[in-house]
Amino acid sequence: MTEQWVTVSGDLVEPLVAEVARLGGLAEAQIADCLDAISRRDVALAHAVVARDPKLDALQADIERRAIELIATRQPVGRELRRTVAALKIAMNLERCGDLARNIAKRSLILSESEPLTPLTRSIERLGRLVGARLKEVLDAYTGGEIEKAAGVWARDEEVDEHYNSLFRELLTYMMGDPRTITPGAHLLFIAKNLERIGDHATNIAEIIHFEVTGEEMTGERPKWDALQRRSEMLEGPLTSDRVQSMTREG
Amino acid sequence: MPLSFAEPARPVSLRRRPETLATMPTDAVETIETDHDQPAFAALVDSLPDPVMVVSARDAEDASDRRLVFANLAARELLRIQAAGGPLVSAIRHPEVLEAVDESLFGGLNGEAAYETGGAQDRFWRVRTRPLAPAADGARLALMVIRDETDARRNERMRADFLANASHELRTPLASLTGFIETLRGHARDDAAARERFLGVMAAQAGRMARLIDDLMSLSRIELNEHIAPEGKVDVALVTLDVIDALAPLAAERGVKLEIRMAERGRAMITGDRDQILQVAQNLIDNALKFSAPGGTVEIDVVDDVTAEAALAPTRAGAARLSLLSPDLVGGERFVVLRCTDHGAGIAREHLPRLSERFYRVEGQKSGERLGTGLGLAIVKHIINRHRGGLAIESVAGQGTTFTAYLPRL
Repeated sequence: MTEQWVTVSGDLVEPLVAEVARLGGLAEAQIADCLDAISRRDVALAHAVVARDPKLDALQADIERRAIELIATRQPVGRELRRTVAALKIAMNLERCGDLARNIAKRSLILSESEPLTPLTRSIERLGRLVGARLKEVLDAYTGGEIEKAAGVWARDEEVDEHYNSLFRELLTYMMGDPRTITPGAHLLFIAKNLERIGDHATNIAEIIHFEVTGEEMTGERPKWDALQRRSEMLEGPLTSDRVQSMTREG
Repeated sequence: MPLSFAEPARPVSLRRRPETLATMPTDAVETIETDHDQPAFAALVDSLPDPVMVVSARDAEDASDRRLVFANLAARELLRIQAAGGPLVSAIRHPEVLEAVDESLFGGLNGEAAYETGGAQDRFWRVRTRPLAPAADGARLALMVIRDETDARRNERMRADFLANASHELRTPLASLTGFIETLRGHARDDAAARERFLGVMAAQAGRMARLIDDLMSLSRIELNEHIAPEGKVDVALVTLDVIDALAPLAAERGVKLEIRMAERGRAMITGDRDQILQVAQNLIDNALKFSAPGGTVEIDVVDDVTAEAALAPTRAGAARLSLLSPDLVGGERFVVLRCTDHGAGIAREHLPRLSERFYRVEGQKSGERLGTGLGLAIVKHIINRHRGGLAIESVAGQGTTFTAYLPRL
């Protein structure tokens, strides 16, 4: 693919794209901060993340309003229309990422009330960094118009799934070994799920960028179903420590 | 695509107001002032190693109108800026950085922000912003300078990791001790045989903790003095013989034969700290014994008066070789070599670079009956560094390992 995004100064949609990039920066910072709040057990930082969320919501609403105004009054067509709609959709995905980060920050507050589970929070951090890196990559692709980069994020979705699955097993093993870890373990499960969903949003954004630049949907099957299948198999039937151990060994 | 920046508008505004470039060396500014050579100015800024940018803005409310009117080569490469005049957020979108830029643009203040970029390479950046006088057309301007602080940050993290590792290493034997105490208080209270066995294990674990603490303390002592040259004269051959005497019972117990080739007394003299040289010999020979199978041989050589090249000459055919530490050489130095060779399992090539890292143990070694602390080689390396010497390793998987320490001869 050789599509090159020509940098046009002062065109119709550019301010909108800039605002989306700014929202992206805010979302990235929220994710990085909520991970720090977990690993450092930083209560103040967690509160700060929660308090900053309305800013993202307001910015997203503003982008939406401006996009609709632009469509209504300037009636862009072709690539310009796609760019406008893409900005609108990416902003929605980013705002959702912000919500998930806020939720993680809230759960980190509960985690800080119980004993630290350092090996687990380390794994969470690793998953989080991976997801954060994917979001960064896809936003770089957006601001730089690099469609290959976006395609790369789209194709490497299973990496996050692998991490998530191994973390899932790790958490189950822990909770079965020591019932006192069930409360923090359950919150860590939700946190892992939230991170995985941020990864999904990054993948969505990659698809939107592809559509924006080419005007075509992304084709081809994402290597996702396998992972989902395995996870549902794991959830079927009573969980005995033998089963968990065999799952752990498999992985 | 060539990176071209519109020439006319921007350098003029910079050149008119030299006082805004107060941080630059004054004579550099004057040169620019006097010869009015624009390409020279651009080349000067382009050759700065740190990314430097100028941002313009008019409307404080509209965040999308912050534009990059200038970026030097380092900035264009780092942020992949393709053309001038693009929005700032396309290049950098971290909220704290954007706030710092706004402070300089509209508050006239110096701003500062730090941010991290994840991804394959984790990097840590510090951004400083300075207000500039407005452009001729009334647009507000601010200067942005980015500095890579990844190294400083990484050192900080390594320190934290070291603490975490050390506590982890101490906790493992402690947990086992606590477990056995519980058992001895409980159902093993009246079982004499079990009691004896448990006390044996507990003694071994306590010994491991003691070794670890000893190693940690000597490592911190060595580090404190690492940049103070040692005083005193040491005969490496004598010191090594002392160590061999002390370790002979262990070698006999393990059925390992020692082959010793020593320099003549009084020949292998160096300037050094006797206790520390003793520790080097002790750690190297102890290591070699640990990796030798019963019935094996450990060779210990002390060679006096050789050149650096001779000290580093290969001793094993087909071995993976790595210098873990090399001294600064001016030429003509003579060295005393202490070489320790075992015929054990050897160390795979991929482990060599990390060998002198603290707490690094080659896989499979953890199950040894006499567990090392993982600090031995780190200690050896620091001592040799203090003595301005070098350390090299050669290893062939399946055939064994040779450590060569060389120290400047007196």
